Amino acid sequence: MLFNSLSFVVFLVIVLALYYSKLFNWTNKKRMLLFASYLFYGLWNPPLVILLWISTVVDWTAGKRLAVEENQRKRKFWLLLSMFVNLGFLAFFKYGDFILENFVVLVNGIGWDFQAQPMDIILPMGISFYTFQTMSYTIDMYKRKIKPARTFLDFALYVTFFPQLVAGPIVRAKDLITQFYEEKRATTNQFVWGVFLLTVGLFQKVVLADTLLSGVADDVFGSSKLLHGIDAWTGTLAFSGQIFFDFAGYSTCAIGIALMLGIILPDNFRYPYASLGFSDLWNRWHISLSSWLRDYLYIPLGGNRHGITRMYVALMLTMLLGGLWHGAAWTFMVWGGLHGTYLILEKLQKQYLPFKITKWNGIFLAFITFSCVNITWVFFRAREFDTAWNMIKSMFYLQTNGEKFLDSFSILKVCVVIGILFLCHWMMRNTSMKELSQKTSPLVLGVVWAILFFLIAIAQGSGEQFIYFQF
Amino acid sequence: MNLKKSFLIALLISTIGLTCWEQYWRSQGYYPTLNDEKALWSMHRAKVEKATGTDVVILGSSRAYFDIQLNEWEAETGKKPIQLASTGSSPLPTFNDIVNNTDFTGTVIVGVTPGLLFSTTYPKAMPWERPQAKVNHYHDRTYAQRLNFLLSIPLQKNLAFMSADEEEWADDIDLKALLRRIKMKPRTNNPVVPPFYYFGDVSIDRNMSMTPRTAQDTAFANTIIDVWKFLGAGAPPPDKEATMSFFLKDIEKFKARGGNLIFVRFPSSGGVRIGESQGLPRTEFWDDLVRQANVKSYHFEDYTQFKNLKCPEWSHLSAEDAQYFTTELAKLMLADNIITNSKTN
Repeated sequence: MLFNSLSFVVFLVIVLALYYSKLFNWTNKKRMLLFASYLFYGLWNPPLVILLWISTVVDWTAGKRLAVEENQRKRKFWLLLSMFVNLGFLAFFKYGDFILENFVVLVNGIGWDFQAQPMDIILPMGISFYTFQTMSYTIDMYKRKIKPARTFLDFALYVTFFPQLVAGPIVRAKDLITQFYEEKRATTNQFVWGVFLLTVGLFQKVVLADTLLSGVADDVFGSSKLLHGIDAWTGTLAFSGQIFFDFAGYSTCAIGIALMLGIILPDNFRYPYASLGFSDLWNRWHISLSSWLRDYLYIPLGGNRHGITRMYVALMLTMLLGGLWHGAAWTFMVWGGLHGTYLILEKLQKQYLPFKITKWNGIFLAFITFSCVNITWVFFRAREFDTAWNMIKSMFYLQTNGEKFLDSFSILKVCVVIGILFLCHWMMRNTSMKELSQKTSPLVLGVVWAILFFLIAIAQGSGEQFIYFQF
Repeated sequence: MNLKKSFLIALLISTIGLTCWEQYWRSQGYYPTLNDEKALWSMHRAKVEKATGTDVVILGSSRAYFDIQLNEWEAETGKKPIQLASTGSSPLPTFNDIVNNTDFTGTVIVGVTPGLLFSTTYPKAMPWERPQAKVNHYHDRTYAQRLNFLLSIPLQKNLAFMSADEEEWADDIDLKALLRRIKMKPRTNNPVVPPFYYFGDVSIDRNMSMTPRTAQDTAFANTIIDVWKFLGAGAPPPDKEATMSFFLKDIEKFKARGGNLIFVRFPSSGGVRIGESQGLPRTEFWDDLVRQANVKSYHFEDYTQFKNLKCPEWSHLSAEDAQYFTTELAKLMLADNIITNSKTN
């Protein structure tokens, strides 16, 4: 089920009515939320709920055993079992065809004539999110960082909680499971703020991402022509805005919906396009994934504890795998590799060419960072290396015969939207929407809210899936 | 921060704003209509799964869609047909789906619009991609998508501003369509596509009928004619060999399991008819298809009652003429005993 759909509106109203009715005690409310979450997921593809159940049962069992087991070898077994099941799901469902395809290329390369039919495996929605979430529970249990979930119901709801089930934020057990222990009710302010966040999230998705930007991005990246530099930049900027509004829109909706139930989810985006450098970017973009990768990949790989070279290797491996997490294609690896390179270059700059960031050079630095990020989006969005390479050549005006493809209004529209996006991020980078709303008069906030809602209603949208569902 | 106050202000302004928006568009002549979308098509495609030998399925392009009126057909034959024709489409992908993915053994009426049926088998070409997208949607649709469609019906039926049609008509009034209307100085040398305005109303049972404005307002009908001229001028040559070969395989399979196939060539007029006669001559295309398929067929030129029908925009019949055409066509088929009369009296 998509947040930007009529069925979700009906679903949410029913869930909220049941949640706030006096029909159920807290345990039954949690059961109702769990059932609703399975329904939310199952309305897309019912059989794939089984994967959620397997992941839940395996990690619940592993966590329970890790809580009492003292034998180190047995502890390791339970950890590995959890990782084997979760990563196995990912390997099969997400990377099955990719692995097979590359295996064929490899064996053909060494002279063995072998062909294989693609397996055409369906990618279960949100599998990358819930597997990472459940793995974090088992790993934290193994490291004795957290206590086990009190009941199976609490754990199952942690894995399946519908607002963040299919595209995050990837919430740690300590931040979410404990919220299920005591009855939760949103205060009036929390509830209304949740509705506001849901409106903002839907506005980002339906109006900004789908109505204003997706068409240009799809046209440019879907074109087989060699494009003029302006067209290539416009398409890349459009995608840059589309993916931010799409994903941040989803996260904002998720946070708002959870808040309407009295559950607090962490921020996933903090105005990333005004980042001052790439370390700053990864503290602002998809925060729940970057902190997951930091805690469960970068630090176990050695982090910065074993010298500079090892740190760079750990950093690069983390970013490459982070790229691969997004999709089963080499283009995603290049995207991750570019970010890894940026991070390494930034660390070298800080070591050898340090300079102070002031309010004068800050916006310039943010602009440079944003421009470099845009270059990486080309590899993220292009399905083929050829497309990506042609785009890059066009963007750097190495394509002398590039074709003008977009109409003037599309270019203007994208430039205006992205220009406003960048300036908003710059002005908001040290504050939050909550803080800003507290300084705004109720009348102005009400008018802005009405405009957002009005634009969502007249945009209507065609129920486009969120981009990150495919990851 | 007084969020409750803000919420109430937002609710009030939104309600007033949307009411004014709706009233404004109604004052401009807009009225609530259903969108002709994949979800609606899929709802009817699902009926084929349970259809019996006495059922009739209509395939083809917009002519089969506009020119067969379901109520008139039902009045003559006693049974409403399943309308699966769709605009700008070759019937081949849909027929292939029915032949290979169902056990249907009833009657399939294929509307033959030569420029589309013989156009291509290339999956990315518009006449193929459009119907194939509907077929794919039917097979892939989720329960959530089905529910979304059902919930959207009362909204579409009651609100004029709900007009985000998949066809992307030039006069749609959703935000994306309104932005498309903004034109600036041309930057490219691409040919300018004439505006393609909404000209047919569809009902929940997929009965398509030409809007009264198209039938009565010559200037408006001419805007549609301009589109046919543009599309005709840019159309690639037909690929008769590939399309016939693809189609005949499915026809043999369908006939072998007892299915009844009928071809109908619906009327066209003016420049479209001239263009079709020159580019896709009857003897070379229609006659050859009928001969090789060896099925019952009806060409409008062969029947006195159809010869003088005029299409207001050269390609489709007005609602009134379509009702007449449907009644007469059904009578002919019943007289030929090639469809079942399910009327009880």
